[in-house]
Amino acid sequence: MHPILARLDRLGGYLALWVAIGVVESSILTRQGLTWPEALVQVLPPLLVYSFVCLSAWYVCRATPLATSGVPRVLTASLVAAFVGAALWLALSEAWLATLESMPELAPITPRFRIQVPFLFVVSLMLFLLVLSVHYVVLAFEAFRTAERQQLELQVLTRDAELRALRAQVNPHFLYNSLNSISALTGSDAAAARRMCLLLAEFLRTTLRVSSEQRITMAEEMKLAERFLSIEQVRFGARLQVEQSIDEHALECQVPPLVLQPLLENAVGHGIAGLIDGGTIRLDIARRGDRVSITVENPRDPDAMPRKQGGVGLENVRKRLALVFGGAARLEATASPTGFRVAIDLPWAVDVCLL
Amino acid sequence: MSVSFELPLRIAVVDDEPLARAVLCEFLAAEPNVEVVAECANGFEAVKAVSEKSPDLLLLDVQMPKLDGFEVLDLVGRDVAVVFTTAYDQYALRAFDVHAVDYLLKPVSAERLSEALARVRERLGRGERTASPGVMAAAPPREGHAHRVLVRDGPRVHVIPVEKIDYIQAQDDYVCFSSDGKDYLKEQTLAEVEASLDPKIFVRIHRSYVLNLARLARVDQDERENRIAVLTDGRRLPVSRAGYTRLNSLL
Repeated sequence: MHPILARLDRLGGYLALWVAIGVVESSILTRQGLTWPEALVQVLPPLLVYSFVCLSAWYVCRATPLATSGVPRVLTASLVAAFVGAALWLALSEAWLATLESMPELAPITPRFRIQVPFLFVVSLMLFLLVLSVHYVVLAFEAFRTAERQQLELQVLTRDAELRALRAQVNPHFLYNSLNSISALTGSDAAAARRMCLLLAEFLRTTLRVSSEQRITMAEEMKLAERFLSIEQVRFGARLQVEQSIDEHALECQVPPLVLQPLLENAVGHGIAGLIDGGTIRLDIARRGDRVSITVENPRDPDAMPRKQGGVGLENVRKRLALVFGGAARLEATASPTGFRVAIDLPWAVDVCLL
Repeated sequence: MSVSFELPLRIAVVDDEPLARAVLCEFLAAEPNVEVVAECANGFEAVKAVSEKSPDLLLLDVQMPKLDGFEVLDLVGRDVAVVFTTAYDQYALRAFDVHAVDYLLKPVSAERLSEALARVRERLGRGERTASPGVMAAAPPREGHAHRVLVRDGPRVHVIPVEKIDYIQAQDDYVCFSSDGKDYLKEQTLAEVEASLDPKIFVRIHRSYVLNLARLARVDQDERENRIAVLTDGRRLPVSRAGYTRLNSLL
């Protein structure tokens, strides 16, 4: 749809502009000796009809878009259209003058108007070109707006997809090892095997459920973490000990799902699993004013390969915190020869839209 | 299943998780002519078991504390057949590169374990021991350079961080790592050792010597114009012409 014809307010403004142009043209004619009423009557009606002719420039612009048509093509099309347009104006004016002459009782016609016709023809030509370039500007502006909107939509979608993918990283090896433990227990301790099945089912169900949430309470995240640790304790036996200090007031805080569990997974996989006698994972959750801190500490083998602990899991948590909180959340990882410590500092958020 | 004679197998089960060992032992108990001679919770225990019990087969977990499965195979692979058991499938290619007989994914099934045992029997029946020194060396090096060297001394394993190595000397079929005034022998070629170490730190100064640059005090010449590397502790090692060129390019 034509951008000016589509909206009444735009059309009104456009016509007002043309009336103004008609007044200017008439004022030029008054200097040639015409009276104001004579000039206006002769100039305005054909000019207003011509203003609609000029709207056809829109189709010229659409047919020869700046982005894909060469300069010669755009120039040729514009000039040809302008000449055709101006010729139409000429025909309109001649017809109008003929009408006026046939009704001398309406207005007296002076031949002085005709002397100015070549000048007015050029003006009409320029006006058509002006309208044409305005259309090009409007088209470019619209293209820019569309691109901007698409860019924004893309950002939202990317962030959505990223969150989805990042959350989907439940370690498959955790599953395989747990299933292996269940397989072992079925032979020796059927009741324990059943407990392990239930723990694993609960863990998976909760993980899947919270994965589709934007945020969950710290209490839910803690429940998930406890199930994870219970399962790992079946695997590692006495090698895995857990000490935790949880601030009750911190439990109602809203957090992105699965921020704590990957840290514990690292603490077990890169810490406890590398120690012959195992060790103790320390988990602290505390609220200080409008901040909440989560700390996970684990011992590790000082002789183990000096590879960086965490890797993908830690990066994943860091990215998600950045996506959700922007710069308001911090994650700090510190490694010493005998231990690893991850501290997360979050803004306290309850019933506040994080996104 | 035929009732034919099965080659008896003496097996050591190595896994740091008690339940993972338990399920393997349970399956093995149902296998004919199989005896579990040791259960080990880590790599050191595995090496010790190989020395003391000389099993035919190690069922070996990959991810374990201190020594991982591949390091254990590197230490004892010439004396015993190895079947890896792990939840990780990404080690499979490397496992066959180092001539593991089989690779079992957890959770392990009794049928799959039976197949693996059949393969082991087939191999042992052909009189093949396991990985020969040559094929062990053909294994692609691990990402980056070695940061420690493992040397087996009967049931014991010495872990030598590479920065503690002074120099390495070739001795017939062995190499001798000199570290902290002690010597450690390992069945390996000097070329293999050289390839596994960081070439910016360890230089082949002679056909029979690789030197840790950090230990070099100066290079002397003796009365017959031979160049001699003098170490920070005063020990002297011969430097060949090619070795001197290599040394110069690094200094």
